[in-house]
Amino acid sequence: MSPWDVEAVRAEFPILERTVHGKPVVYLDSTASAQKPRVVIETLRKVYTDYYANVHRGIYTFAELSTEAYEGAREKVARFIHAPEAAEVVFTRNATEALNLVAYTWGEANIGAGDRIVVTEMEHHSNLVPWQQLAQRKGAELAFVPVTEGGELDLDALRSLLADGKAKVVAFTLMSNVLGTITPAAEIVRLAHEAGATTVLDGAQAVPHLPVDVQALDADFLAFSGHKMGSPGVGVLWGRRALLEAMPPFLYGGDMILHVEKYHSEWNEIPHKFEAGTPPIAETIALGAAVDFLTGLGMEAVHQHEQELVAYAMKRLLEVEGLHILGPSAEKRGGVVAFWMDAAHPHDIAALLDEEGVCVRAGHHCAEPLHARYGVPATARASFYVYNRPQDIDALVAALQRVNALLRR
Amino acid sequence: MPSDLYREELLDHYRDPQNYGVLPEADIDVRLNNATCGDTIHLTARLDDEGRIAKVMFEGQGCVVSMASASMLTEEVVGKRREEVLAMGLPDIETMLGGIRLSMGRVKCATLALRALQQGLKETEEA
Repeated sequence: MSPWDVEAVRAEFPILERTVHGKPVVYLDSTASAQKPRVVIETLRKVYTDYYANVHRGIYTFAELSTEAYEGAREKVARFIHAPEAAEVVFTRNATEALNLVAYTWGEANIGAGDRIVVTEMEHHSNLVPWQQLAQRKGAELAFVPVTEGGELDLDALRSLLADGKAKVVAFTLMSNVLGTITPAAEIVRLAHEAGATTVLDGAQAVPHLPVDVQALDADFLAFSGHKMGSPGVGVLWGRRALLEAMPPFLYGGDMILHVEKYHSEWNEIPHKFEAGTPPIAETIALGAAVDFLTGLGMEAVHQHEQELVAYAMKRLLEVEGLHILGPSAEKRGGVVAFWMDAAHPHDIAALLDEEGVCVRAGHHCAEPLHARYGVPATARASFYVYNRPQDIDALVAALQRVNALLRR
Repeated sequence: MPSDLYREELLDHYRDPQNYGVLPEADIDVRLNNATCGDTIHLTARLDDEGRIAKVMFEGQGCVVSMASASMLTEEVVGKRREEVLAMGLPDIETMLGGIRLSMGRVKCATLALRALQQGLKETEEA
């Protein structure tokens, strides 16, 4: 294994000291939501005990400290994804809201009847349903880049979908939350741009787990969620300044306005135009702390650690009789393994694993069309983050052997 | 130790379900699925002259809870009147499963067969 000191990382996550059903907790569901490091929890406490007040309004000390810390988090997030400027970072409730923001504002203004919206078969519902509904509202065509049997995107099919120039947007994930597949994002963006299409990148899985550089990718929009990277629930939308400035607002109210008259309003500048109402202030400041924590670990090192874990997991999981893994080989994926077993329904797998303190997700993981493509109604999914270690995978495999012993007919 | 949910009685019903299959000339024929977990059931039933449940059979795919619950239900409801079955709910299922308390995540699995049967009864009423 790498020189990664996983025990030192684990010591930063108080929840990992807990036991479940008398067993040490083995948390393998970070893809759904990640646990929080001490520094994030401590930041929340500090905001509320040291200087909490509303942002962007008061002239008193607390208000200024809150605003400074809130806008400081925006700077940190911008640096983290290599955005050219912090004003292009919009805080939302979560990645889902960020994607809806794009579909409802940019989409409403730029998609018309007969236009093509391109998504992929591996999208999370949050990067599918907003586009599906936009297509229905506009009479636009929704087209899917197919997923190959091995769990990768069929780029030839994408080229065909782009060939006639009807495609106006390509919305795709940087990393599948089921298959773990890391998509060739830079190439997809290049192909889309050559065809004149705008790109919307779902970074909910990628941003917490690997280095993401919006300028190197030449992306137009990127959405992700703080709660999957150790922060409380805050979402982020990054977009190019020119695009954000041209878009109408999403939600209306306080803070997003420059000037209001009885029958007329003018909008604030970006990013505030898209942040109506009081935001989750302490949570956003804590997102900044989570970004600092990950930056301290180094995103390249985080990715490397998870690749080693996923390679070990795939090797060990195949020791379990009647277990099948969805998706590509380990070197093409992040720290996610979805699988199904001949002997047990995913719900039973998850319930029996829980009795051993092992937390995995069961179901379709908000990716029903992807499961339909593989003809499996549901899977169990183990996912890894900075605090996971090979012993966690050993515990998973031991628990799965017990599932087999109990349920094999 | 396995929890209440995975004790031998339920596992027996899961491994060797009662009344598994499709009933010919059925009065009730319902297919239902659980969108969230992919459980499916095809439930068929026959009523006697007085409208009581005479025989229930099921086929399907699902977790231990949904399959064992379906298997046990096919025995539990025989002889019951339509209104009795329509009045059944989660507490009855929990009692039938041996007095366990189901977590929120498993309620839909456990009640799948009952919902299918109740839907079928309502359809025959309307027909």
